Amino acid sequence: MEKDRIKQAYLDYVLRKSTPPASVFKLTQKLGMPESEFYRYYATFDAIDREIWADFGRDARERAAQEPVWQTYGAREKLLAFYFTLLELLKQNRSYALWSLRTYLPKMPGLTPRVLDDFRQDFELFVDELLREGRHTEEVASRPLVQGQYPRFFWAQVLFVLGFFAKDDTLNFERTDAAVEKAVTLSFDLVGRNSLDSALDFARFLIRRR
Amino acid sequence: MPEHTDMPTEPLDSTAPPAAEAHPLTSLPTTKVARAARFAKTGLKVGANYVKHYARRSVGAESSTEDLHHANAAELYGALSEMKGSVLKVAQMLAMEKNLLPTAYADQFAQAQYQTPPLSGPLVVKAFRDAFGRSPYELFDEFDPKARQAASIGQVHLARKDGRALAVKVQYPGVADSIKSDIRLVKPIALRVMGLSEAQVRPYLEEVETRLLEETNYALELRRGTEIGAKSAHVPHLEFARYYPELSASRILTMDWLGGQHLKEFLLTDPSQAVRDQLGQALWDFYAFQMHTLRQVHADPHPGNFLLRAEHGGTVGVLDFGCVKEIPADVYELFTALLTPEALADENRLAALLTEAGILRPEDAPTQRAFYLSTMQASLELVGRPFRQPTFDFGDPAYMAALYALGDDLMQQPELRQQREPRGSAHFIYLNRTYVGLYALLTELRATVQTGAV
Repeated sequence: MEKDRIKQAYLDYVLRKSTPPASVFKLTQKLGMPESEFYRYYATFDAIDREIWADFGRDARERAAQEPVWQTYGAREKLLAFYFTLLELLKQNRSYALWSLRTYLPKMPGLTPRVLDDFRQDFELFVDELLREGRHTEEVASRPLVQGQYPRFFWAQVLFVLGFFAKDDTLNFERTDAAVEKAVTLSFDLVGRNSLDSALDFARFLIRRR
Repeated sequence: MPEHTDMPTEPLDSTAPPAAEAHPLTSLPTTKVARAARFAKTGLKVGANYVKHYARRSVGAESSTEDLHHANAAELYGALSEMKGSVLKVAQMLAMEKNLLPTAYADQFAQAQYQTPPLSGPLVVKAFRDAFGRSPYELFDEFDPKARQAASIGQVHLARKDGRALAVKVQYPGVADSIKSDIRLVKPIALRVMGLSEAQVRPYLEEVETRLLEETNYALELRRGTEIGAKSAHVPHLEFARYYPELSASRILTMDWLGGQHLKEFLLTDPSQAVRDQLGQALWDFYAFQMHTLRQVHADPHPGNFLLRAEHGGTVGVLDFGCVKEIPADVYELFTALLTPEALADENRLAALLTEAGILRPEDAPTQRAFYLSTMQASLELVGRPFRQPTFDFGDPAYMAALYALGDDLMQQPELRQQREPRGSAHFIYLNRTYVGLYALLTELRATVQTGAV
């Protein structure tokens, strides 16, 4: 597969030089293929980065789902399993992952770097599905007005986790594991039925009485 | 003293089942979580007033303008003070009061760790993948994703492999790191609230911190557990779990699943006196052997770490070798010398020993010296009593009453209360803790033990 060769060559280059090749021409020359071959698959180097990240996400979801206990997991645990599998994948490719996160993650938290666009699309679909499942099992509260925003909220969590991972200097990224565990627990406490719902319900009751 | 009639059970009460019910994950009652919670509550009940008085005084003594600042610190350290109250009564018999501060300090950190929520299923799987590259479901024939028990810094899962039931301890990620940073963060505040200077207590706190960090080292626990278990195998009526190095890693520890009940539930089955005696004897022999021969002791003789069965006339299963105190030769000499009848009879010899132990200091005023000497003499007479008799009945209510009376007595002593710094060798912290725990177990068992034999 030409496409895989290009991707691999790009990856090798980045790993060796910590920077993308100066031009598409230089890369294709090394591979001994015409430059036009590259453009059959990718528009720019950024597109390769986007694809690599989307692959991370897809692999993480698939691998996590292969775990025999996956079916017994609730939504919270499924999301956790996804994160931990993703972190495992990132650790296996840690040089590339850290390089691209440190290069592309904006200084301003909350902004999504373009390399993560495809990853984000897939992730939001995945979370949407998880949340729908969670509403069936009543793990997630049904809040018609706001629940449309949940995937974005969880995407912010992904950015937090990736940012944490990029800055984590503990052995084996142990603090990232703890951060994931705590962040996911908190987020599911928030989207689950909690005191907020009761407060809203109470407020609504008081307003209606008038 | 009617208010103290319930005292003998206090330290053991900390494993009370009701507290465990509040904690949905841990159906077994002797979780450290439940214990810690109960422990704090007990302390609150027993020692709050006493301790509050102290905290306020040490705070007020420094400066009144900084009251708010101090009050905040005191608030933060309220729990610590409460703990201090609860262990105080029994432990006072063995140590000078301020020596207990480090123990309370240790418990406080331990409690902070216990309060971490249980690990989620995926994180447990992750821990296995990190360690072995395989999930626990591949590694074992069966693995229960629901934790059976919270361990000090992780949790225990039940697994099966080749037909054997196994207990698998999984440690929370980053515990060692967080202990280190907690210590850095909290130490100055703690010292300030207690009105102690860092230099005075440094050796004690160092000792405690070393033990705490050792507890996070599962490789060390595996080695020690295997070693002590193998060497103590000849002590009758004891059972040790076999450890499985090939199924263990730095954050995972696999051992045999031992049967039996914790002390509290076991006593509810109303075991006969003969069974109690045999259990008590096994415990006593185990500690005597560790102390005198191995020179390293399982320094956490908490009811949660022993499983009791009536089988074979009484069998004790020993768990958790996370906290092991190795006893240097000179400390051993000192400790045993202090418990001999000669030391008690001869005041000069006792004074010499206590000076060596750092309890008496050359610069002490004569009245101070006399006071410490008489206090220690009274304590040692009582505490060392089992060591000086061939058999000893730990169920004797008069003995317990005497111990608690002594504790009360010591607490009333203004000299002790004004004592601003801890005294004695730092090694005594865990030795004291060991014997406090052992006495508590034996009195609860109401066992008659052949104490002079070893």
